[in-house]
Order: sequence, then C-alpha cells, then structure tokens
Amino acid sequence: MTDNTLALQRCVMDLFLDEKGAAAFAADACAFGAERGLDEPDQAALNRFKPRLLTYRNLIRFALEDPLPDCFPILQTLLEKADLWDACVDAFLASRFIQSSYYRDIHPAFVAWLASSGWGQDTWPFLLQLAHFEYIEVEILRWPDEPPLEGLASVPAADLQVVFDGTARNLAYAFAVHQATKENPEPDAGETFLLGYRDADGDFMVSELSAHASAFLARCLEGDRIGKAASALDLDHIEALELLGDLRDKGAILGFR
Amino acid sequence: MNPFTGVGVGLRRPHLEQVAALTESPVPFWEIAPENVVGQGGSRHRQVMKILERDPVITHGLSMSMGGFDEWERDVLDNLRGFLTTTRSPWHSEHLCWTSYGGATTHELLPMPFTRESVSHTVARARQMQAELPVPFLFENVSYYAELGAAEMSEKQFFAEVLEGADCGWLLDINNLYVNSRNHGFDAKEWLEGMPLQRVQQMHIAGHTWFEEDQLIIDTHGAAVIDPVIELMAWVLPRIGRPVPVLLERDTDIPTLEELLAERESIQKAYDAAFAPVPILGVGALRD
Repeated sequence: MTDNTLALQRCVMDLFLDEKGAAAFAADACAFGAERGLDEPDQAALNRFKPRLLTYRNLIRFALEDPLPDCFPILQTLLEKADLWDACVDAFLASRFIQSSYYRDIHPAFVAWLASSGWGQDTWPFLLQLAHFEYIEVEILRWPDEPPLEGLASVPAADLQVVFDGTARNLAYAFAVHQATKENPEPDAGETFLLGYRDADGDFMVSELSAHASAFLARCLEGDRIGKAASALDLDHIEALELLGDLRDKGAILGFR
Repeated sequence: MNPFTGVGVGLRRPHLEQVAALTESPVPFWEIAPENVVGQGGSRHRQVMKILERDPVITHGLSMSMGGFDEWERDVLDNLRGFLTTTRSPWHSEHLCWTSYGGATTHELLPMPFTRESVSHTVARARQMQAELPVPFLFENVSYYAELGAAEMSEKQFFAEVLEGADCGWLLDINNLYVNSRNHGFDAKEWLEGMPLQRVQQMHIAGHTWFEEDQLIIDTHGAAVIDPVIELMAWVLPRIGRPVPVLLERDTDIPTLEELLAERESIQKAYDAAFAPVPILGVGALRD
C-alpha cells in the first residue's frame, strides 16, 4: 500500500506547480489537503509546515526557471518589456511539460509548450519561431559528437550523396528570426531559410539560404544523389556543387560518398 | 593507491577548460552527475570527457526520484549504466527523496513522508535500482525543510530503516545533517548515535545560506563550508573508522578554481588531522 505517500506527493505538486496553488494553499492549507483526499493528520501537517512548503514552491520555481534566460535571451527581453515574462513562466510550469530527468531538456520542453499552447502568439505571431531558433543554437552547440567517418570524398560530384555533420539543421521560418536581437527582439516577417550547424571550432554558425537552396539541401538530407536533387529542382549543377563545397569548407558537411 | 580517499571536488562547468588543460589532476577525485554529461557533445563535453578519462571520478545522481512513483525511463537507465561503466565509478549515489510525480518533474529534492508505508515503497525502489546498476548503490540523506504529512517516525529512524531495508550504502552529507539540525532543532552528533555508520561509503560537505525572511537555512551549496560543519566531519570520520572519501560541493556563486582548491586543501587538513594518532599526553609525568 502506497496510497498515502502517493496522495501527499500528488497534493503538493498542485501547490508547487499550479499558477493558483500558492494562493489557495496559503488561504487554507487544511482545505487544500482535504480537497485532494488527504486525511486530517496529513492536513494538519500541511498546515503546520505551511511557510516551509511555500518555500519549496519558490525553490522549485527558481530551479525550473533558472535555465530559461540563457537559452532564450531575446524572447525573455521581449516579454520582460511587456511585463509578461513571469506570466509566461508561470503558465509553462503549470503545464507540467517539464518531464525529463535531464535538466537540459527544460529548453525543448519550453518550445514544445509554446507550440502546444500557442501562448502569446496572438500578440507576437513570431514567438514560437523565435524560441525555436534560440533553442536550435543551444541544441547544436551541445549535440553529441560523432566518430570521424573514413573514406569520404572531399569534392562533391553529381553521382555522390552528401554526408552532413550531425549538427546540421535545415530551417525554414516565416520571420527573419536570426536577425532578432535583444535591442530589436521583433523579427521582420518574410520567408527565411537557414542552415544551422557547428563549425570545426565548436561554434554555432548559421547560413542564409535561398528557397531553392533550402529545398535542394532538404533532398540531399533525405539521401538523394546530388545530381538527382539538383535536377528535380531545375538547379544549375555547378552552382549546386559550389554550395555544397562551400558548406563542406565551413563544417556543415563532412564529405561525399 | 586507492584514489577514493581524502577530499575531492565536484567538477563544475566554469572550471572545465582550466582543469582539462592540466597535465594531472589537482584533486584525489572528482564527482560528477551523469545526467549532466550523457547524450551531450561539443567543446565543453570534450573537456569533461578528457578529464574523466584522465582522473578518478565518482558519480552522483540528481533526478531519479527514488521515492517517487514514476517509472524510470529506459534510455535514462541505459545511459546511466553505460556512463558508470565508462567512468569506472566505484559506486553511484542518489538522494533519498522524490523529484517527480505524474510525469512532471520539479528538479528539486523533496522530502519523503516519514511513515512505514513510505519506507516500504522507497526500499522497493532502491532494490529495483540496485538491480539495474553495475556498481553498488548509495543513498544520500537530504536537507529537508518540512515534513510531508503526519510523521510516524523521526527522519533519523526513517533514513536508518530505508538503509537497512534496501541493504545499500550511505552517502553521509554532513552539511545536510547540520542544516537539518539547525532548522529542526536537534543535535547532529546525537542524530549520528546509533546510525549504521558501517554503511557510510562517502561523505559530502558544502556551504549553505541563512535566509532571514524565512528563518531557514537553505542547502544552497553557494558559500564556503563553515567551521562547525568541518568540525562535524572531523568528529564523525574516526567513528566511521575508515578514510572514506569526502566530496566538496559547490553549485552556486562558484569561485575560481584556485579558491575552490584552497578550500579543499583546508578541509583536507582537517580530514588528515581526524586520522592522526592521538599524542600520548603526560608521558613525562608517568616517568616521574
């Protein structure tokens, strides 16, 4: 039997994470416990430790919010200007989207929550895409290293396939999210195609692409041979090979096979 | 020579580049949380792996929610097992607490109810975890600021019963004990009386912070270790009777590596003194 332990944990999770949990608990801790099925001795214990259980709520919220500004500095700046950063964090925590044992997964959980909830996107239609791009930088920087591949050609040719670096991300947005800054956090609307990757020095890099180049790289990422991918999009083969050679020099592409 | 003795240091991000550039370890051993390393890459990760390949390391987990009810993710367990094998950690420790419920995680060390039901539940989870790991499993006593529900026993009795029931080792966090003794008004040395010190395999030592508004000491790991905590460490070491490794933790307001190593050195002196032979006083008087 683990009913009591389970009920206690379920009860205080409402206190710790729900937006209105603190107010309801502070108003009447016994009633808070009773509504969640706790017996009277456990209700009394909640009441006895009320201030310290509220301290736990603060500690949890600090722990869960702490990694967000490092990953989403522009989004945070935007929302702080509107005095809505705390409201955004509160709604995120209440959603209980943070489920992974890995602390680093708070970042993708935040993006997933924005996508699921649509929070703030009536006011700022670019919000999710900005958050996604800010997260992509962090994801690329810490993406697992791969063992070096042997036998790759260094020069692209029509009958070869492209071997991308594991960090390469072919990205498409409806806003120029890569141009947003803390000073100007609202990106202009407009189709934006980017290739994000990690260079040889371990730094995050992003290259702007045309719509055609992005479509071409998408086919290459799917495994098409270079000539077939270029022909399917009516691309000039020489230009396509030059693009690939350039991306190989920059580190986004490991080689060709 | 057994590297897992003396005073080690928790390996932290601000020091990675500097430590990786050294030709040999500046400490007897490091401690690291596998959750913060596995599945990662990039330059920082390469620095971590370089250090872990060169130096002895002990692993310490943060988020397995040992007293919780959520099933452990299979890939997380697999990654942990692989990491323990790669690093050749002599054991793996986790906190006696819960961190998640219903799939949602708090990343905070939350207190267990001090009840028989809670003991049985945690013992079962610990045995399950031990069966998953390639190395011995240790429980750490946590700082707790509140009791969760009506207690049927003391925290001391709860912790001892879980250790015995799970038949596992003990990571004695001396700072957590001190913090609890201050926050809940008991004597730390009395708390240790009758506890199964033979189960202690490792100790933690750290700083903490007093919050005036809450009238509470929080286990922040954000300050230098205070003398009473070092004295408590020195008091308990001879009672354990073995030079178990002590790990200096620092997680916030992290000082320079040089400052941290200087603090480690001072704790090491207290550690060495705790095992020094007691001088026989009054020998001259006996001759007379």
